[in-house]
Order: sequence, then structure tokens, then C-alpha cells
Amino acid sequence: MPMRPLARTLSPLLLLLFLGAGLWAVPAEAASKIAVVTTTTDLKALVEAVGGDLVEVDALARGTQNPHDLEVRPSLMVKVRRADLLVMNGLELDQWAEVVVQGAGNPRVGLGAPGRVDASAGLLVLEVPQGKVDRSMGDVHPVGNPHYSLDPGMAPGVTANIVEGLARVAPQSRPAFDRNRLAFLARVDQALTRWTAELAPFKGTKVVVDHNMWVYFLTRFGLAEAGSIEERPGIPPTPSHLTKLIALMKDQKVRVILSVPWGDQKIAERVAQETGAKVVPLAPAVGSAKGTDGYLETIDYNVRSVAQALK
Amino acid sequence: MRSLISICLLIGGALLPLPAEAQEVESLRKELEQMRKQFDTMKDGYEKAINRLGERIQQLENRPQPAAAPPAAAPPPAAVAQAAPPAAPAVTINPMDLARPREPFSLYGQRGPGQLLFDIGVAGDFIGNLTQSNVDKANAGSFPGRENRFFPREIELALFGQIDPYARAEVRFEAGEEDQGEINVHLAEAHLTLMALPFGTQLKMGQMRNRFGLLNPVHEHDRPFIDDPNVLARFLGEEGLVERGAELTWVAPLPFFLEALVGVFNGDNETAFGYGKLTAPLVTGRLRTFFELGDESAIQLGASVANGETSERHRNTLLGFDAKYKYRPEGWQHPLLTLLGEMIYQNRRVNVLGEDTNGDGIPDTPDQKRTRNRWGWYLGGEVQPFRTGQLARWAAGFRYDWTQYPVMRGREWAVGPYLAFMPSEFLRFRLGYKYTERADRDGFTDNGGSARKVDEILFQATFILGAHPAHPF
Repeated sequence: MPMRPLARTLSPLLLLLFLGAGLWAVPAEAASKIAVVTTTTDLKALVEAVGGDLVEVDALARGTQNPHDLEVRPSLMVKVRRADLLVMNGLELDQWAEVVVQGAGNPRVGLGAPGRVDASAGLLVLEVPQGKVDRSMGDVHPVGNPHYSLDPGMAPGVTANIVEGLARVAPQSRPAFDRNRLAFLARVDQALTRWTAELAPFKGTKVVVDHNMWVYFLTRFGLAEAGSIEERPGIPPTPSHLTKLIALMKDQKVRVILSVPWGDQKIAERVAQETGAKVVPLAPAVGSAKGTDGYLETIDYNVRSVAQALK
Repeated sequence: MRSLISICLLIGGALLPLPAEAQEVESLRKELEQMRKQFDTMKDGYEKAINRLGERIQQLENRPQPAAAPPAAAPPPAAVAQAAPPAAPAVTINPMDLARPREPFSLYGQRGPGQLLFDIGVAGDFIGNLTQSNVDKANAGSFPGRENRFFPREIELALFGQIDPYARAEVRFEAGEEDQGEINVHLAEAHLTLMALPFGTQLKMGQMRNRFGLLNPVHEHDRPFIDDPNVLARFLGEEGLVERGAELTWVAPLPFFLEALVGVFNGDNETAFGYGKLTAPLVTGRLRTFFELGDESAIQLGASVANGETSERHRNTLLGFDAKYKYRPEGWQHPLLTLLGEMIYQNRRVNVLGEDTNGDGIPDTPDQKRTRNRWGWYLGGEVQPFRTGQLARWAAGFRYDWTQYPVMRGREWAVGPYLAFMPSEFLRFRLGYKYTERADRDGFTDNGGSARKVDEILFQATFILGAHPAHPF
């Protein structure tokens, strides 16, 4: 095999490739907007609300994808490669993003770098397990339930973390971020008044969920979780668990099962049929259902869906 | 008189130190008073700080309650209730309070000990193998020397984490049965990666599984098949390409993924190289790219090269080409279909001993140097056809192998279907069958056995304990 001619052929090609890549890189780095990558679409919406025209945001997970276990595709590394700021959900929901960062070769957003934001920092975390935590409990989150973004009451804390992160990258724009944040929080506050009033008649009502991710939402609006179709997080239910759940739902007159797009609809429907309950597909993230393109729209969708089902 | 003097002396002795003791008592009293004052000041300070924080928490957590709604209409969250009693009156919030920083790390720091610890994981991979007795005698099954046995192939202890803001490290120890009943414990990998180098490059150095092709960098318990593809076992050896040296990677700043890698290693792998000196190092390279084909499917393509010297000081060059495709319908948590394949082409100089043409035991032709241009490939696939429920835990797959031998003459092909059951993300069982057919018996006739045609039933049980990083595509 003539290896030398092969090397001679490949060398100019490789050189061209490297030069081309370098030239392509220039406009990307010269862009004036702050390139932000978030792990979830909820965080993307919140960063856009705070950053306004000063940021360009991309999310690693789509709204319809389960953010617990995202496949680490190299295309995600391309996004992180260009990022000035990486905003993560934290609480071990998006640990897969560490593998993305490791493959991206972008030290600006590495662990401990100024371009890294843990949006959960400082939040009051619910369902923090007490005592020993192991996998016999299923795919449990050892530092607490990570689905805080479904509670609009968490928006002040999350956006405060985002502002801090953006201001580290662009300190001169902090006043603009603060202004945007306050304007956004005022909208959240207004909407929250409406949502609270809408769900007020159902205070204390019990619902069943297919995956344990609604605790923040339910607690915020005074609803309660009677049980879960998943016996343990991430583990499909056993027949005996379903039998117990059906009995419990009948006993406690639970009329609603909240489901997510990646849940097992067939099981939810079966349980609903046995108990006379209604399966209510909710939007677990921005962009996960029609009409949930923004953060407020997503919460609005969930509040309306639950209120209609409970009427 | 004597006793009077003694009494006087005693009284005098007792009275004499009085002024000094009184002074000490006085100063201690003052000191105590001062400390008491300091304590009171600190106590006041802490109480004020606690009250301030409590008020802030109360304000922030009560904030969602609409001012217009009656208190009962907006119950505080259960967890919040600890900090803010439900009877607390609604508070009018100044928007500036919402914007105030919230000591972001105060609660995070309370999330338990071990924040500075690295991750620890254990993976166990057990194999069961049943085959014909002639294959067993010849040690010519997919797991040579372990035919008709159930054995631990790889029990791995992995330690990995961040060294400092600029580097991370990974150390893996492995134990597994090499020959009947013999457990070998060894250092499988130990390397550090510098992650903050200029131009988006990363440098990995130490002992590592080389990023040559698709499966070589993947640990055996994570591979999509029970046994290794024949082409990899023949050209890279049973352990694969595990080398000591350094790899520099670079992800091009392009709109699509393109990763380039170049590495320099000792070249210790005895199957393919084996000279093992940096004076004639093993040099590796790889280009990898990836394309999304819509939201549901994607393909990864790679090309690798490894060039080094064999123990006979002959040049050996391996070229590898690989592809992997996955189809994951929207809303599925696992791929419905995965297809993957690799091809290895070898250009290697070898010593060929002179031949004894007249049967007198003496070679009649001189030793010669020859070039061996050999190649092989495999194609595999897996289907996991159910989206949710109990059946979603099942998968079925196959692999077809065809390969020449790198040095000796001949070739072999094999086909192997399998069934997999995954009770959870951390536990997996596989049962498979493999049929191998070789062009001739040469090289597979040890101990009077013969293994031109091989039937094998393979079983695999794999578990993961503790931390395990997410799998790349």
C-alpha cells in the first residue's frame, strides 16, 4: 500500500479543513450577542426574558425530550463549543451536559468557569431525600426534586441566578438585565394572580401523576399528589402497584391523572378507565405541546388543563 | 508565745496575698463582663441577621399569593410553610426585593457532605459460554481459554472527577478471568485531560483506550454486543488498543460537528504493534463527524489511522472507517433502531520464514520480508421496538463479521443474533448465539481440537453500581 502518496493527498485536504474552520470561526466569535446555551427549553425561555436582545439562546434538549436522560449527541457539543454561557438546571437533572462540555473543548463554560450557571443555586428544593439513598429507590434524585421550573414562583430565584451569570460575561449590561428581569417578574406576578385564582376552587384536590415531577407546581397551587403511576422514579410499574393505585384512587376519589409526553399513555389510560379518572396531558417544558412556546404560555397551558379537568 | 507567733504568721501569710488576689478577681470580673457584653452584641447581631433572613424568605415565598385574593385561596407550599406560617398576612412586595441577590450558595452548601469527592462507579460484566468440545480443546471460541465456562470478564472500579478548574482525571482498575479460574487484576486506564488549552484543544495523557474506530474506546460492559467483533479481536487483540501516551483533540468551530485527534503512544499492543519505544512511536489520528437527519435520526461517521512498528521492527499501518446510525422517534427514551459498522484495513510488513520444499527439515528458500494487506469488517444492529411499558425493556440485535487474519493466511465469517433484557438502566442481561466458520483449520487446532466451524451460546449479565457517566452517541 503506497502510504506516502496517501499522506501527500490527505495533507492538503487536512490543511484546507483547518484553515476553513478557522475562517468560519471568525464571524462566530465576532458576533456581538452573548451566546447562551441552556440544557432545557424552560431555561432558554427565562434567559431570553432576562437577556432580551443582548443574548442569543439555544437549548440542548427539545421540549418534547425527557431531560433526565438525553443522548449525548456530538451536535450538542457544537452548540456548547460556541457558548459564552452555559445555564444548567442543576439538581442532577442534566448531568449528561457534563459529558457534552467535556467533548466540546470550550473552557469558558467548564466546571467552575465564569460562564457556568447553576440555575437551581439558592432555591428552596423540595423532596430532598433523608437518610440513605440508593438505586433500590429507582432513579431517585439524591439532592432533591429538580423540576422547580414548573413553579412560576421560582422565577425570581432562577432569573436572579441568570442575571448573575450574564453579568459575569457582560458586566456593562447588568442594568439592562436587571430591567428586563423586573419587567418579566412583573408579568409573572400578574399571571400568578390569575392562575392562583383559577385553581383556588380546587385547593386540596388530589391528583395522580405518571412521573414524580409536578410537586412544585402542585404545591404552589395548593393541590396534592395522591400517588404516582411509576412505583419508583424511572421504573415501570408492577401489576400489584397498579392494583394498589387503582384502589387508592377509587378510595380517595381521584379524578385526574397528570401525564407527560414521554410517559406510558397506555397504562395511564388503563388506570383512568378502571377508576373513571381523566388523563390530562401537561406540558413538562416550554415547547412540549402546542401553544407552549414561552414560559408564561407553558404555565398557562398547565393551569388551564388542570382547571378544566377538575371542573 | 510560740503558738501566738505561729498564728500571727499564718494570719499574716493569709492576709498578705489578699490585695493581689483581689486585683485578679476584679480583673476577671471585668473580663467576664466584657465577654458578656461582646456575647450580647454578637447575639443581637445574629438575631437581627436571622430575623432579616427570615423576613426575606417570608417575603419571597409569600410573593406568589395574590394580594387581592383571600389568604386561604393561596396556600403556601408545604415546604415553604416551615419558613412562612400559613396564617401570615399577605405582604405587599417591593419589586426591588425580588431583584435582590439571594445568597445563591447558602442552601447549596447544605446539600450534604462529599462535595469535594470524585465519582466512584463499579461495573460488573459476567459471561457464560457453551460450545463444542473440539472448540474447547482448541481454545478457539470467542473467549479463548474460557470455553464452556461462566466467568467474570470485566469487574471494573472507576474513579473519575475534576482535578482542578483546568483538568479532570479518570482511573480504572479491572479484574477478569483470563484463563480458567485465573483472575487478573490490572490497571485498565489512568489518564488526565487538560481541558482549558488554547483554540479549543484538549490534551489527554496517560494510559487509555485509544480512540481508534467506534468500539475500541468503549469499555466491554458498555459495548452493544456480548463478544467483540472478530475484526477487532484479530487486528487489535482481545484487550483492544490500550496504550500509554497522549492524545490531542480539537473540535472545529464549524456549524456541524467535526473532531480531529492526533496521538503519540508507546506502541505496546502486541497484536498490532509491540515495539513499545517512543523512538518509533505509535502515531494515531482520527476524524469524526456527525449529522442530524431531522429530529429523529442521526448518523456519525469516523475515519482512524494508527501507524507504528511491530516487535520485529516492521511498519504496520491500520486504517479504520466506521459509521453509526440511530433512529429514535419523538417521545421515545431509547432508540428504536441502531445500526453500526466498522472496517479495518491493514498494511503490514512481516518476516516470512523460508520454506522446506523437499521435506528434509531444512528451509530451501530464504527468509523474506512480505507485505500483508488484510482487512475485515462487521455490521451490527439492534431493535428496541416498544416505546414504554414492560416490553420496552426488551431488545433484539445481530452482528455479521467477516475478516481476514492479519498475518497468517485465511479468513473467517460469523453471524450472531441476540436478545437483551434491561430491567433498569443499570442492569442488563443478554442471550445470544454465534456461528463462526473459518476458511481452514490452520491456527485453530491446539491440543488436538479443531475449530473450523464453531457454534456458541453466549450469555451476559452486566450491572452498574454508583456513578456512571452518560454514554455518548
